[in-house]
Amino acid sequence: MDIITRDQLAALLDNLASSRTLIAPCEAEDVLLYRRVPSSAEVAWDFDLPVLSAKGALFPPTERLMTVEKGGDAGEENAVQLNILETIFEDEQVIFGVRPCDARGFKALDALLLETDPMDTYYARRREKTTLIGLACGQMGPSCFCTSLGGAPDDWRDVDLMLTEIEDGYAVKVVTEKGRALLGDLSLRELPGEPTAPVLNDPLPVPGDEAWTSQFKDGFWDNLAERCLSCRICAYVCPVCRCFDVRDELVPATTFCYDQYERIRCWDSCTGVNYRKIAGGHNPRSEKGQRLRNRFNCKFYYYPQQYGVIACTGCGRCIDACPVNIDITEVMEHLVITQEGVSK
Amino acid sequence: MSKTIDIQAKTRQLLNSGQVSCVIGYEIGPRGRTRPAFIYQPDDAERMVWNRSCTHNLVPYVSDKLQSIEKNTSTGETETTQQQVAVVVKPCDSRAINVLTAEKQFSRDQVYVIGVACEGIVDGAGFGREDNGNLQARCQRCSEREPVVYDILIGEPQEVEAVDDYSDLDRLTDLTPDARVEFWLSQFDRCIRCYACRQVCPMCNCPTCLYERDDSLWVGMGIRLNEKRTFHLGRAYHLAGRCVGCNECERVCPMKIPISLLNRMLEREVEAAFGHRAGAAAAPSPLVTILDSEDGISWTS
Repeated sequence: MDIITRDQLAALLDNLASSRTLIAPCEAEDVLLYRRVPSSAEVAWDFDLPVLSAKGALFPPTERLMTVEKGGDAGEENAVQLNILETIFEDEQVIFGVRPCDARGFKALDALLLETDPMDTYYARRREKTTLIGLACGQMGPSCFCTSLGGAPDDWRDVDLMLTEIEDGYAVKVVTEKGRALLGDLSLRELPGEPTAPVLNDPLPVPGDEAWTSQFKDGFWDNLAERCLSCRICAYVCPVCRCFDVRDELVPATTFCYDQYERIRCWDSCTGVNYRKIAGGHNPRSEKGQRLRNRFNCKFYYYPQQYGVIACTGCGRCIDACPVNIDITEVMEHLVITQEGVSK
Repeated sequence: MSKTIDIQAKTRQLLNSGQVSCVIGYEIGPRGRTRPAFIYQPDDAERMVWNRSCTHNLVPYVSDKLQSIEKNTSTGETETTQQQVAVVVKPCDSRAINVLTAEKQFSRDQVYVIGVACEGIVDGAGFGREDNGNLQARCQRCSEREPVVYDILIGEPQEVEAVDDYSDLDRLTDLTPDARVEFWLSQFDRCIRCYACRQVCPMCNCPTCLYERDDSLWVGMGIRLNEKRTFHLGRAYHLAGRCVGCNECERVCPMKIPISLLNRMLEREVEAAFGHRAGAAAAPSPLVTILDSEDGISWTS
């Protein structure tokens, strides 16, 4: 295996930070987040799983799609010239310390945003400009279940460059040309052997399509949802939840004028009350149970049906962030057990 | 008898007699995390627990439950003779009942209150992170051991000596105004507008939150510093004299925004200016104006 030392890696990241945006796990007042860092000095080297996934680097919580502003004189009387300026993401960015579950999350997003017509050009642009440096997990956390969904704590398939921490630094695996380009002419030391394999949790059973369709009207959903707060934590910490809302808003100005508007899109979540509200005020998903049912069906049934991949990577963030202990693995287990009972 | 056994027995009795249709309390989930539980059948009463991780303020569920019972009754889907819901409360939670009944969100006789003599809740409760066993900061300064309102009291309240001198606010008041602004902006910067703080709050019960209108009338939809600041400061003002300090907003915040500092700053102001402590009695906040139908405005202070 090829080895990069911690010092070499820090120098590499500093070098990258000088020419492009470097995003890395860092502590923001006791909260571990992927954030833009000016240098490797800010990087939290020993980290488990940041509270939010790395999703925001490619799908920001708020993204301005374009601005519309009044331009100069259009020449004719009463005519107004409008200038429309589309936002085009230009920066090259590198995300360091991407966990395999988050990298898999980008793959799942690609299925909808890149590979399904029409392509989401905003996401596509960012995706193209982004290089992922993965970091393998030494062991699975108590809430992790990536191996149940085809991932692994050392899965290198979805990143450009994979690092695995070892005693003397990191084992490096070049996965793509993009990854190779990051290393440049850096000379890596060669060591015999391979990094130690990570410690795994026992895989959980995953409900099949039949379980989701046959239990659609089960009272389970209402019972589960009773304690649900209808907040959006689960969707916002998730590496694959990608719902958004688009709105045209006035750009705040220091002077009171109505000259510039922006079209923004922001994260949204199907667990929120208003999400499914339609014109006229009707809400076909007005009950909490209906909303949670949608959330889980989307992940394991609707999204795979439409885009071919499960919209969950088993990162376990929603389990650990939910204030009322709504647990995706408990849902999976319930569906599997009930389905087995039905099949017998 | 342990509090758990007492709560289970009361739950069974309330459901058997038909006095209430639902008891809202606590249970332990498969991962060992304590969480809210809704019990309808006497046989399920054994799921109920009381422990030092019963952090959730269950009062926000009461209005929801009463509304859904009302809805089902009016559509004839269920037959309920009584429209009462029972709820397990700690002293801080019990004050929320007082505020909400004063604000006419439900009436006192619609709720059967199972008050628990509280000994404080541990840090990390509800998330399975109770490792260090320390009391939550708010519990360390709390001397309330007996709920202010209840129909039955579970356990014997123990005397404790705790003084709330608001010293947690020193870290703010010692700062210059500019530094304070900087402090708050760096906190709000982490906010993701997940609205968990609002959703968990017994006092955040507006049918349409003014910060989440579809028309962006008062604040835009952006998950950006400007909008986030407006949300947090506005929410804090709306809680002035109403916040009971259950601190659920801060507990649930995935971004660890110290929301209690805002709420307690206003709590101290309202106490100093009006001698009002939220929910100590069933009286509305002196900062709340109640509009009585067509008869004009009645000022509560």
